[in-house]
Amino acid sequence: MSVQPAMPKCWRIESKPHKFCPGCGHGLVLKALGQAIDELGIQDKIVFGCDIGCSLLSWDFFNCDTIQTHHGRTTPVVTGIKRANPDVIAVAYMGDGGGYAIGSQHLVNASARNERITAILVNNTQYGMTGGQMAPTTMPGQKTETSPYGRDPEKTGYPTQGPEMVAAITPEGAYVARGTVANVKQLKGFIKKALENQIAGNGFSFVEALSTCPTNWRTNAEETWNFVEKEMTKYFKVGEIKVPGPREKEGQ
Amino acid sequence: MPEKPIQGEKRAFMTGNEVVAWAALAAGAEIMYGYPITPQNEIMHYWTRMVPKYDRRFLQTEDELSAGFTTVGGVLAGKRAFTATAGPGNTLMQEPLSMAEAMRLPVVVVVQQRGGPSTATVIYSQQEVTMTTLGGNGEGLRVVYSTATHQELFDYTIKAFNTAWKYRFPTFVLGDGYQAKMRESLVLYDPQTRGIEMVPTEPYVGKPGLPGTDRPPTHMRNTYNVEEELYEVLEQYLADYAKAAPQIAEYDAFDTEDADLVIVSHGVVSRACKAAVKELREAGYKVGYFRPITLRPLPVDQLRETAGKCKQMMVVESANGQLDRLVKEAIFGSTVEMLSLFKPGVGITSEEVVSRVKEIKG
Amino acid sequence: MGAIDPRVVEAYIGEYASGKSEVAVNRALDLATGGRKVVLVDLDIVEPCYTLRPIKKELEAKGITVLAWETRDTVGLGETGNVLRAENRWALRRSGDIILDVGYGVEGAKTLNLLEGSGADPDLKIFAVINIARPMTSTVNEIVQYVRDLGKVHGLINNSHLGDDTDLEIVLEGARVVGVAAEKLGLPVVATTAVDEIAALIGPVDSAGNPVRKLVRYMPRTLW
Repeated sequence: MSVQPAMPKCWRIESKPHKFCPGCGHGLVLKALGQAIDELGIQDKIVFGCDIGCSLLSWDFFNCDTIQTHHGRTTPVVTGIKRANPDVIAVAYMGDGGGYAIGSQHLVNASARNERITAILVNNTQYGMTGGQMAPTTMPGQKTETSPYGRDPEKTGYPTQGPEMVAAITPEGAYVARGTVANVKQLKGFIKKALENQIAGNGFSFVEALSTCPTNWRTNAEETWNFVEKEMTKYFKVGEIKVPGPREKEGQ
Repeated sequence: MPEKPIQGEKRAFMTGNEVVAWAALAAGAEIMYGYPITPQNEIMHYWTRMVPKYDRRFLQTEDELSAGFTTVGGVLAGKRAFTATAGPGNTLMQEPLSMAEAMRLPVVVVVQQRGGPSTATVIYSQQEVTMTTLGGNGEGLRVVYSTATHQELFDYTIKAFNTAWKYRFPTFVLGDGYQAKMRESLVLYDPQTRGIEMVPTEPYVGKPGLPGTDRPPTHMRNTYNVEEELYEVLEQYLADYAKAAPQIAEYDAFDTEDADLVIVSHGVVSRACKAAVKELREAGYKVGYFRPITLRPLPVDQLRETAGKCKQMMVVESANGQLDRLVKEAIFGSTVEMLSLFKPGVGITSEEVVSRVKEIKG
Repeated sequence: MGAIDPRVVEAYIGEYASGKSEVAVNRALDLATGGRKVVLVDLDIVEPCYTLRPIKKELEAKGITVLAWETRDTVGLGETGNVLRAENRWALRRSGDIILDVGYGVEGAKTLNLLEGSGADPDLKIFAVINIARPMTSTVNEIVQYVRDLGKVHGLINNSHLGDDTDLEIVLEGARVVGVAAEKLGLPVVATTAVDEIAALIGPVDSAGNPVRKLVRYMPRTLW
């Protein structure tokens, strides 16, 4: 019998095994988040908000206070909580459709106001729960139920560069990174820094996680990892994009 | 501790929007979230002016979706939180309010109705009755107070917080552009001096203790798996609402006992109707006055009783039958003859009401 | 006339519902009754709802020039109706007496910056209209703070009232409170203003010796 790796302490054992598809990246992102919460010892301070879409399946995932909201509306709900009670550590958890399409105005304005919240956005290049439609993050040529001949950038644009946009519009103090479920250790590090940035009161913190959706990609294990590691990274560069501290002057 | 905004009682002359801001202060509202839309803007103007002095908070959001959802967040954090809106803003507000209904969150919303559909006029109407009472993809599990005077705007804004937190249904104060802008005197008061105790609030999230160890975690959702699961929740909600409805429902009526014709109106139009009924009575007409103060829930028993005694009911409103539909549903089965004076998006004077009655009665 | 009878240029500014428009309208009409040429200017630009627009024709029939929007010239009243009329910007360049009705707003007297020449007009007097039934100007300290925040002000006007429910008591209490505030500010009280019935009860001067101006109420009819 193989030894299972330990679950993060803040995970709620009663709701495990979790409800995501086999091979889904959500579990890995939530593991990275769980580890970061454990390492910071902030389980009693966390208020976790999750969006509609597959992210709603995390509504009872943690032994943390959790609110499942509407599609795209997790950012304002969590903002409202944080503004009313600045002592909590507020996390908004959403997918690419919620963050970059229906809730994009909330992401843009929370960024511009430098809301002291942490947003984690899972990018799996399409709308998973509704059956695999094209999302703002769908790759050029990628087939989805609403781009049956492959996404044509001429007609529907290129994949949204979310963290780059957030980095561009946030004031000083914001933390912005893009991680991937292909490197959970690094992703955990980004999420931890994002939470620490909120605790320090510096500003908005945002982590996009490149993630997998074998169910809608119709991929086997090898193809899944190929897609997230090789295809997605052609458009989505992994790494820290903005860290607090004075900006270096151009040319230096 | 900052001083109380109102010590004892105080006569004042102000606009309806200012009244709302003062009432929210007096009620101990802690945070307002809002987005500019006419004719409610001065609620935000005056709230933001007073925020530092009385240690309150304000967030201007990017739109009314956000204003509604941040207010939901404020309530989840356990604060007396509110927002204010109108017209197209109220339309957007229906989404967050349906979440508040689904989670039984005591969100308070002040609506200053403007003309519709769409942007129409910023001035005045009573065309947001259907949306405010029954909006969203739900069952209208909400409370709506329709005010007629500045004193009522003050009284019912305070009451809205208590109704919301006592029964845990989202609660609206439904005003309009006239009430928002018109100036009138009223008495401001500290609720405590009138024996009004503010219903205590409590946080839903961010409570003390380690979740899962010291206490169960708060896990709130609005998504269910199967029909039965939802039905069970809704059955309980509907039973709670039905039980609370008679305690919440309010109305005002006079001269209905021997009336042939009873005029039914709400909000600012009821001021014209009240004057009209008095004038008509003096002229010998057997007319009565009935005004639901709560449009949701309606004072159904009293409406039915009134409809059972008179021959005709005339619904008067600055909309094309939005109150009328609610009244007809409430008195379904009654044989009373239904008459109307509808002026969608336009004010109604007592002279118009008087002449309509005289036209009918000859 | 001319040189020996200088032009009157007065700006009335104050809290929402302080009664500044009413005081301004009445002042303009009083001057006109005395045979003077008067221009009344509407500068209410934050959510104007009680504006001069609805009574423009009536006031013009009484012999004054009114610079205010007419319904047909604008669209989306209240939303876009707070656009500054181009003609109003040049109001101070007109001959005759100029009465400015300045709307409320956090910028206070800064609204006057919108007028060409307002900084240099030697005749311009700015009067703050105070109603002690307004919660934010109900005490001496509140009034002092409020007037200081307005910027340059030349005098105060006690227009304390409760609309239809106004009584002698509130007007006299206003005269007292505004008087003390004016003293602290080192400013004169230009007048106590009240509707006819109450002005008659007070007499030509109030308890502090300030002149009493009679008001005819035009503004209740002007909502939107």
